[in-house]
Amino acid sequence: MVVGPFGYRISWAQLAFFGHRASGVGVLVFLFAHVVETATVALGPDVYNFTQGFYHNLPARLGEILLMAALVYHSLNGLRVIVMDFWPRTTVYYRPLVYGVVIATLAAMIPLGLIMITPYAPWGHV
Amino acid sequence: MAVGRTIWDTEDAAQERRRNPAGAPRLTPEGVRRERLWWYFMRISGLILVVMALGHMLIMHVLVQLSGHEVNFAFVSSRWGNPFWRIYDLVLLLLALVHGVNGTRIIIGDYVRNRTLRKALVALLAAITVVWLIAGMIVIIAFNPGNGPKVGPFS
Repeated sequence: MVVGPFGYRISWAQLAFFGHRASGVGVLVFLFAHVVETATVALGPDVYNFTQGFYHNLPARLGEILLMAALVYHSLNGLRVIVMDFWPRTTVYYRPLVYGVVIATLAAMIPLGLIMITPYAPWGHV
Repeated sequence: MAVGRTIWDTEDAAQERRRNPAGAPRLTPEGVRRERLWWYFMRISGLILVVMALGHMLIMHVLVQLSGHEVNFAFVSSRWGNPFWRIYDLVLLLLALVHGVNGTRIIIGDYVRNRTLRKALVALLAAITVVWLIAGMIVIIAFNPGNGPKVGPFS
């Protein structure tokens, strides 16, 4: 149980709700920036290739991995919300489903993270 | 006798407090219908976005990496040379932006208690969204791919 800034005891599983909001807002903030960055494609190859250069460093790549994790979590947790909205009897399994979403996100991020970090990893410069 | 005029409003206020202890904004019937439509929109667009947004990320960050390409002007030219990917990106932009902004509107509604500030924030968010949406759609529709070489997966 967590007694945080909520003023009452909440279970770890209830943090899924805050995770959904945080990941959603995070992806939206990136989307607004992504529209601006992609819009430079209208200014020709030199400008666009320069803009894409902002992504070609380790901190940006770690940010992209975080973005992927946020999107995977938001997708899986969103599917759980839809399932529980339309089949209310599944709410009995609220905690197992939330922990399943978290575990599935972490499991999916192992191969995805390894592939995405490749250019900056020791095995990436073979 | 002041017929039709409320002199003693304490009973009504007490009733209102009992019905709505949190003092949440009361929705009109039209508001209820509108919010129900948004509720369905979030779930339907969410299901579509699970496929489209994750698909976009898998192509741009995983398949591009595995196939040894990089996202640059030639890559975009080749990709948007195919009308399928232009329509895909248009639909993805529209759904993701509206889904995300509506979610943010609901978060604002949960945390911003001041009615004037809440309305101002939502109006600002809506205005920014319209500008971004129109600009993004113009970029995708008006882009001239030229005669760049075919590169990248699914070009």
